[in-house]
Amino acid sequence: MFPSGRRLDRATALFISLLAVGFLVATFDVRASGDSATTVLRGGAQTLAEPIQSGIDFVVRPVVGFVDGISNVAGLRDQNERLEAEVQRLEARLRETSALERRVAELEAINDLSPPEGLATVTARIYSSGPSTFDQVRFINKGSSDGVIVGQAVIDESGLVGRVDLVTGSSARVRLVTDPLVAIGVRVQDTNQTGAATGRGDDMLQLDMFDATEPVTKGAVLVTDGSRFPPGVVVGFVRETKEANVGFTLRTTVDPAAAFSELDFVKVVVGWSPLDADPETGDPLIDPPSFTDPDTGPR
Amino acid sequence: MTSGKIVIALGLVVAAVLLETTVFEQIQPFGYAPALGMLAVIAVARYLDPEPVLFVAFSGGFLEDLLGGSPLGLWASTFTIVAYITLKIRDREIAGPLVVLAGVFGLTVIGQFTYAVLGTLFGQGIIDRPGFIWHLLVPALYNVILAYPVFWLTRAAIRPQERTWAT
Repeated sequence: MFPSGRRLDRATALFISLLAVGFLVATFDVRASGDSATTVLRGGAQTLAEPIQSGIDFVVRPVVGFVDGISNVAGLRDQNERLEAEVQRLEARLRETSALERRVAELEAINDLSPPEGLATVTARIYSSGPSTFDQVRFINKGSSDGVIVGQAVIDESGLVGRVDLVTGSSARVRLVTDPLVAIGVRVQDTNQTGAATGRGDDMLQLDMFDATEPVTKGAVLVTDGSRFPPGVVVGFVRETKEANVGFTLRTTVDPAAAFSELDFVKVVVGWSPLDADPETGDPLIDPPSFTDPDTGPR
Repeated sequence: MTSGKIVIALGLVVAAVLLETTVFEQIQPFGYAPALGMLAVIAVARYLDPEPVLFVAFSGGFLEDLLGGSPLGLWASTFTIVAYITLKIRDREIAGPLVVLAGVFGLTVIGQFTYAVLGTLFGQGIIDRPGFIWHLLVPALYNVILAYPVFWLTRAAIRPQERTWAT
């Protein structure tokens, strides 16, 4: 009986019971770690849903691409002119850069450094996202059978996309860098100062630099420092110039390098683990494992 | 209430969740997607008996949890709360398209807010995200736009015997 004397109706009793179950499961899931029952459940659900989601994705993606293409026709001419000018400018810069590249390659060889492009990767296709607008995750069609494990970095041609945080046999969940649960050790490419970039849950990252001595300027490139992600991967570009004040944290916002709304194919960096990195410098301590992947060839 | 109708209702909610993860991964006007799973729960809650509605809502939410990135049980609880509120208001003598659409908008906002509160309590840091308010309002607006097609589909699939609010 309720205090008011009214009988608890069946629907309300069931409602309260289901809420209690929901909270219990949530608490258990938050507290659990590793191969818990909830991880197994998620893996099972993902395995079951993956063929259906891939099928829907297979049908929908070309249609969306076609519609996007039509809607963009008006702007294509202007874009083409801009791109032609850009190509000419870049070709000039490329000629200047090629000499520098040779010097960098020599220096890397001398110092036994390997750039991120040299790491073993597995190419995967994104077939699904999280169901809600709050979710900052994507699902890829490669899993443990392809060498993917939890913690590996996911990149695309623009830069860092996220980190693998759940793996099944044939699929994996990638938590995007924009998720507040993801923190990335970064280095400002120009000044070599380090800091931490954290997801904000929207389309930007937050950069915190605790001992900054120099300002960070708008457009400055942030790369991973090698603490939890392979070193040298582009994370994003500083959105707002901020001065350094001694004793205060320098905080600014960063535009991620990857365009998350346009993600299709990504690469999972399977040839690098945080355990491979020197905790001080982020430089590789051991050589990446060598096994052959059909996407990237011998490594 | 036949078990067939319950299975159909569950199928509708499951289909909505799967569409959320695929179609609306690619179609996100202004960067937001409709809360289609929640809309399906609201639609189902208009036509089924209370106990099946709660089971369908909980199951659909649990699937959303399994296919998402948040702790299990959060969407299950959220969908159950939205279904319960819908059940409580569906038989009120209020009708008319605008009332129904306002109801969908309000229920979606309540659902999104409930999830945000639960998610924040369970360490997801949702409420303090920039632009949080838009995560409540824009999906609710999209749900209003999609409400009548989803309601029509649900009604056609379940074939309810009696009229409920604003049918």
